[in-house]
Amino acid sequence: MNPVQRFFDAQRRHFEENGRFHALYPFFESMETVFYAPDRVTITGPQVRDCLDVKRYMALVIVSLLALLFFGIYNTGYQSLSHAGLPVSLVAVIVNGAAIVLPLVAVSYGVGFFWEIVFAVKRNHGISEGLFVTAMLFPLTLPPTTPLWQAALGISFGIVIGKEVFGGTGRNFLNPALTGRAFLFFSYPVSMSGDAVWTAAPVLGGAGVDMISGATPLALSAGTQAPADVAAVLADSGYTFSTLFWGRYPGSIGATSALLCLVGALFLVVIGIASYRIIAGGIIGVLVTGFLLNLLATGSSAPYLSLNPFYHLVMGGAAFGMVFMATDPVSGPDMNSAKWCYGMAIGALTVVIRVYNPAFPEGVMLAILFMNLFAPLFDYIAITVRLKKRMPNV
Amino acid sequence: MISIRTNRGYDLNPDGKPDHLLSVLDKPTYMAVVPERLRFVKPRLAISVGDAVRIGSVLFVDKRYPEIKFLSPAGGRVTAVNYGRRRVIKSIVVARDRVESFETFDALDPAGLAAVTRGRLTAMLLAGGLWPLLRQLPFRDMAHPGEIPPAVIVTMGSREPFFPRASVYLAGNERLFAFGVQVLQKLTDGRVMVTADAAERDTLSDISETITHAYRGAYPAHDPGVVCYQTKTRPEENRAWYIDAQDVLLIAQLLKTGTYPTERVVVVAGSGVATRRHYRTRMGAPLSHLLDASPPADGCRLVVGGLLTGTRCDPDGFLSLYDTSLVVVPEGNTREFMALANPGYRKNSFSRAFLSIFNNAPLVMNCNTHGDLRACIGCNHCSRVCPVDMLPQLTYKALLAGEVEEALVHGLLDCVECGLCTYVCPAKIELTTALVAAKAAYYKEQTSE
Repeated sequence: MNPVQRFFDAQRRHFEENGRFHALYPFFESMETVFYAPDRVTITGPQVRDCLDVKRYMALVIVSLLALLFFGIYNTGYQSLSHAGLPVSLVAVIVNGAAIVLPLVAVSYGVGFFWEIVFAVKRNHGISEGLFVTAMLFPLTLPPTTPLWQAALGISFGIVIGKEVFGGTGRNFLNPALTGRAFLFFSYPVSMSGDAVWTAAPVLGGAGVDMISGATPLALSAGTQAPADVAAVLADSGYTFSTLFWGRYPGSIGATSALLCLVGALFLVVIGIASYRIIAGGIIGVLVTGFLLNLLATGSSAPYLSLNPFYHLVMGGAAFGMVFMATDPVSGPDMNSAKWCYGMAIGALTVVIRVYNPAFPEGVMLAILFMNLFAPLFDYIAITVRLKKRMPNV
Repeated sequence: MISIRTNRGYDLNPDGKPDHLLSVLDKPTYMAVVPERLRFVKPRLAISVGDAVRIGSVLFVDKRYPEIKFLSPAGGRVTAVNYGRRRVIKSIVVARDRVESFETFDALDPAGLAAVTRGRLTAMLLAGGLWPLLRQLPFRDMAHPGEIPPAVIVTMGSREPFFPRASVYLAGNERLFAFGVQVLQKLTDGRVMVTADAAERDTLSDISETITHAYRGAYPAHDPGVVCYQTKTRPEENRAWYIDAQDVLLIAQLLKTGTYPTERVVVVAGSGVATRRHYRTRMGAPLSHLLDASPPADGCRLVVGGLLTGTRCDPDGFLSLYDTSLVVVPEGNTREFMALANPGYRKNSFSRAFLSIFNNAPLVMNCNTHGDLRACIGCNHCSRVCPVDMLPQLTYKALLAGEVEEALVHGLLDCVECGLCTYVCPAKIELTTALVAAKAAYYKEQTSE
């Protein structure tokens, strides 16, 4: 017999009716179904079913995030070592990056699982796979300098208040990962606000080197005074367009590389998991708003207005947010036309918040959360229009 | 010929499709009628166990409309009335005599058909026991004899891979079919819409003059509800009647010969049987009789009435009045190891999440749900396949919230019960079951007033 099956068969009795860990049955079930698809057969309705289930749906999102996670580990380690003036051999970079990033990921999964199990046991339902994605997305949006206790608090808020109090995955109206991120953003603005650059001190071999602070590309852009040019200021600080696109600059763990976000977007769109309408709408929204601001720019206005709009796509978390956060099908709209509007509104708001609101250097998180609230309204309008065309049948 | 185009819908490509050969089976030794599977009928028995019956003797009537009768498909003796839970009559079994006697009914020739009145024709069909073959949209109950339908849709179930091919059962019966269509024309003031798959027109060239509508599109483009949805020009047409093309033959046979027709062409297919074929057999034949000709593999499930629309049935069951299809598919009650890591070259899916999108070969489908029940995640797969442009997930949510009125505005009654929304749902929500139950509850509420 397969050793994995033997293991699960041996452990099952602890989780069944009279077992010691019966309360944790949802956890056991969720772990077992990672390895073994359930043997449930159809009782009613169509006798055969599609092989796609929510587990695979969410697993594919995680697959699309793996490249970002690996790049995040590399980039975190690289930035940390190079800013500390230490040699940047590949092994040292990866070891250091992993030592900074993996604890955050582990805390995110551990605490996330804890809350999910609490609610699954209390509410008597299975552990929903949305958690696997949320707990992966959340640490990727964090600065590498985030203390672990803050990460634990953030994921707790995201899972409990962003999702579980409304009934769990499928019934939440906000993106849980972003909700947790926003919680940290507003609760710990000093370390989270996004105007100071985030480079973690090397964990290994970097004794005595502290966190380094500087300005993020977004803060630099917002702080540029006329007559300087934003692109030139960015380039002076090492943030050329290509650096921003490739992503090897200090920032949130997984959100710096626009290129990898693009790859992830292509993957998710090709396999039909993410809506290309939301992503394309977001890109159009950013570019159109950026061009409009260019038109509004005068000699006396802030130089940020005349920034090439493509910069908005590659700076900060815009690409990551639009590809992985905005396309969350639960908190986004259902109707196709509503998806276009939703995406465009997110793109436009992102740019407007970045350029016009000095309190928030990064706008994409707030734009997505704000549009999450509007998604039902977009849907309502789209459905009303669509139902008007139906011939009534009552 | 009018073209109908259905843009949504989805063609499954299951393994085990039937070939186009027709075999004639021996007469089974016993047959049955299956009141259990007549959805809205409340049977009142007209016989008791031990009674001698002929082909065409009344076995039971519908309490709601006692003029609608259900007749015996065999001549012999009633050997059993089987009851299920809550005294539901599961089946009435008749053992066949070696030489069967039969009831005679009034017959009509083409000249007589031209002269006959609508009321007289209705009475003949009621007495001849074939009235239940006419059904009415949107609830799919038997047509009400007192009503005049706005249209009658004749359907050939060709987009469902396990329904008999029209070219098989119509071969040699073209004139009978044309006569049957004339009979239907008598019943309606509107049009009789004889629908056929545009892709199969060349195999149906013998009846091409009778065909009025050719549909294109994926499953369930053949469904009368889809045809009605695509062609209706006024709300009254939502109440159209429909009938299967093979049943038109039965009606024509009854009126031409004056005897209750007893034979049907049924398909036995699916990946669970090696011999996948059309069989000419008796109505109400036991499934075991069909399975003797096409022995099933172990660990398989019997489904009567189509892969997506059918119900599971025990091996000791029978073909009901409407059944023309017996599908045998693997049960699939096993736990697949590392299913998540399987790229899925052989996994059936509407989505693009499996390598099977590159695989055009028919796929073995089993009855595993391939996942556990979850809350709706809004993937929209159901609204992408719904052939009548509903938003099944939102209609379902409206029903969950008790908003029947809103569900009706969403087109609940347009639902053709094709099963695609449940099939594609990754959260494994029983959408079709919920929609069908809501329709039935609404219908009962309407008719009880």
